[in-house]
Amino acid sequence: MAQADRRESTNNPARVAVTAAGVISPLGFGLAETLESLRRARDCVTPMMRFSVTQCRCKTAGQVSDSRLLAGDSQIPRSGRLHRASHMMIQALQQLVARQPGFEPELTVIGTTSGGMSYGERYYRSLNGAGDLRKAPTWIANYPAQKPVIDAQTAFGISAPCHVIANACASGTNAIGHAFECVRSGRYQRVLAGGYDALAEMVFVGFDSLQASTPDKCRPFDRQRSGMVLGEGAAVFALENLELARKRGAPVLAEIIGYGISTDNFHITQPEPSGIGARQAMERALTSAHVSAADVDYINAHGTATLFNDATEGKAISALFNGVPVSSTKSMMGHSLGAAGAIEAVVCLLALQHQFLPANINFTAPDEDVDLNIIANEPRSAAVSIALSNSFGFGGTNASLIMRKFEP
Amino acid sequence: MSLAIAGMGWVTPLGTGIDSVWQRLLQGEEASATPISEQLVDRVYNVFRVPESGLKEISHPRLRRASAISRFAAVAGLHALESAGLKLESQNADRIALVFAISNGGVVYTKRFYHQIVGTGAHAASPLLFPETVFNAPASHLAAILGVTGATYTLVGDGAVGLTAITMAEQLMANEALDYCLVVGSEEIDWLLCDAYRRWRLLRAAPPIEPFSTQHRGMILSEGAGAIVLARNGFVTIERAHPGGHFGRRAEAGKTLKRILCDLRESEIDFVISSANGTFVDQAEFEALQDVVPNALIYTGKPALGESVGAAGLWQIILAAQALRSKEIAPVLHTNHSLRLRLPFLPTPMPTARRAIVLSCGLNQQAAGLRMAIE
Repeated sequence: MAQADRRESTNNPARVAVTAAGVISPLGFGLAETLESLRRARDCVTPMMRFSVTQCRCKTAGQVSDSRLLAGDSQIPRSGRLHRASHMMIQALQQLVARQPGFEPELTVIGTTSGGMSYGERYYRSLNGAGDLRKAPTWIANYPAQKPVIDAQTAFGISAPCHVIANACASGTNAIGHAFECVRSGRYQRVLAGGYDALAEMVFVGFDSLQASTPDKCRPFDRQRSGMVLGEGAAVFALENLELARKRGAPVLAEIIGYGISTDNFHITQPEPSGIGARQAMERALTSAHVSAADVDYINAHGTATLFNDATEGKAISALFNGVPVSSTKSMMGHSLGAAGAIEAVVCLLALQHQFLPANINFTAPDEDVDLNIIANEPRSAAVSIALSNSFGFGGTNASLIMRKFEP
Repeated sequence: MSLAIAGMGWVTPLGTGIDSVWQRLLQGEEASATPISEQLVDRVYNVFRVPESGLKEISHPRLRRASAISRFAAVAGLHALESAGLKLESQNADRIALVFAISNGGVVYTKRFYHQIVGTGAHAASPLLFPETVFNAPASHLAAILGVTGATYTLVGDGAVGLTAITMAEQLMANEALDYCLVVGSEEIDWLLCDAYRRWRLLRAAPPIEPFSTQHRGMILSEGAGAIVLARNGFVTIERAHPGGHFGRRAEAGKTLKRILCDLRESEIDFVISSANGTFVDQAEFEALQDVVPNALIYTGKPALGESVGAAGLWQIILAAQALRSKEIAPVLHTNHSLRLRLPFLPTPMPTARRAIVLSCGLNQQAAGLRMAIE
């Protein structure tokens, strides 16, 4: 597109289409399996298998099957050396490319929290005499956060420059939100966006040390909630200028119409208690989308099931919205950190496409201090035109994304 | 879109403050190496450390338990805002974005935290240390110290991440609701990092860094931070921030750099701030520079300042801005005088210099560049 055209589209914001998506999570591999798990309100949190958790309070996580993960891209050279996160990104991108073979992004924006942390752990344990250091160069080469992104792009001949955003648990939503703004401003026509994170011992123990994770089930917004469980996965989206996507005959799965970001500066691990940070992110997303709170049909909450998050997020939602249906799908798959926002954007996409409200499982009783319309335990059929997804992270970083059902 | 540098801050092993570090570079000074060791392993490395004197001025409750990486960033960020004459108050706190470039992150606390798990067990893990291991902890501290309430992004990558952060800042500034973007790059050193880079054959045991040497003897790691306030008006213009690219293998780095340089080349590029650091990067840059901008002066500050990875890109931009402002470039240290590149071996006046390229080739497959100009 000529520079003059790009400038013009800056003054007249472009509509942003989702033309393909790929997802790997404890809910399944691909959109169809994910939809099936959401429809059945499956609890995909299982006893932790990847490393010993005997000294931790929490013993469970949402885990991606290694046998399926590693079998999927054995044709890639040296795939045995790659980090699990690379395998997740490769498989998620493979799904996307299969749906949109003509998608050639100009930019890639991916969120993560842990990068290749488990390889860093192996290296450190080996240095401390607990392993063989001969593989250290492989671990070190595959440790950087950008490596899984480059591996996935290389596997499918994509050469777009990549931004890797590490805004803690908001990273995935930040990545999609920033990509959305890049397309909407007219500076880019096609952006690949998403997030990934693979379970790592250090991160698991870290949340356990903060007593943020639970020995119980993950029960977001429940009176009995006692913390989060971790998860893992990857999700990617093809975002395109809607008009150009339609011109080339690409299917439009949904539109992204708004994004809001805020920083509340209250505490490194705790949200500002009044919920101002969360509220600002949602307000900014609504403003960005040019819609009102009453237009929103579904909120996929950050909903980690920690006491602090759910109380502040609940306050912020009930202050802005009047009885909108809310669920946290982390109850089914755990919290996949940098991937969470991207996977939950897939959940919103499926809700818009298939006209249903995903459930908030393990829900026993409402918290009297949180006035929300929780979609308790079972999904519901509903007319869903606009969905909002929240992600909040350590360091007081808050992000909200708004998606709309595409009406041709 | 017009984007310009309105303020800068610099924390380096050669000291703190734009003018004082620049003067020392012009005089051909280089940082002193400090040995760094680890209790469990009998191997010593040499690094360029930031003198403690440069950090004494900063005190904030958020920094009480924070690692060096956050302290470097805070000093550089505050200096940059001060030099831009910018004071953040509640009414403009959401009109400035923060983009934080990082590579290895808070490695000191990460190692300490994981050491507790490996050495004693998960039950011994410290809830105070864990939050400092998260990539965006330094950005969070800086946002809290400055009072930024709008967009805050931590961008992770290799040595090219500082330039990628400028590209992201440019994307953010397309939104007219933003007046400024503070871009910060910061890095801290630990023995573990030295050991990792050595195992990857990128580190040498002791200085000097010999740029553009065919021997590729390796780099010396350094620490510190660089900060730049970007605005719509300023003393040096960012004419173009190239989105960059990546390369699959080291042998392909030169091709990626050539493409970036070709995209950035104008009829008159007076000088290039290169990222040559004594590793494979030098050969890739040498070929690209010789092919695309054979007449430009080439400078690298890494022999004097070391390889600061996540901070390195910001340091390169500061070097370019200073050279454009002062119409002078510092000497390249420890290099071969017979190279077929135009390298300044002494402080070199450039009275007509108007335009520069900053080129960065990272050690982990990323490359980026940008073009700057002064009226």
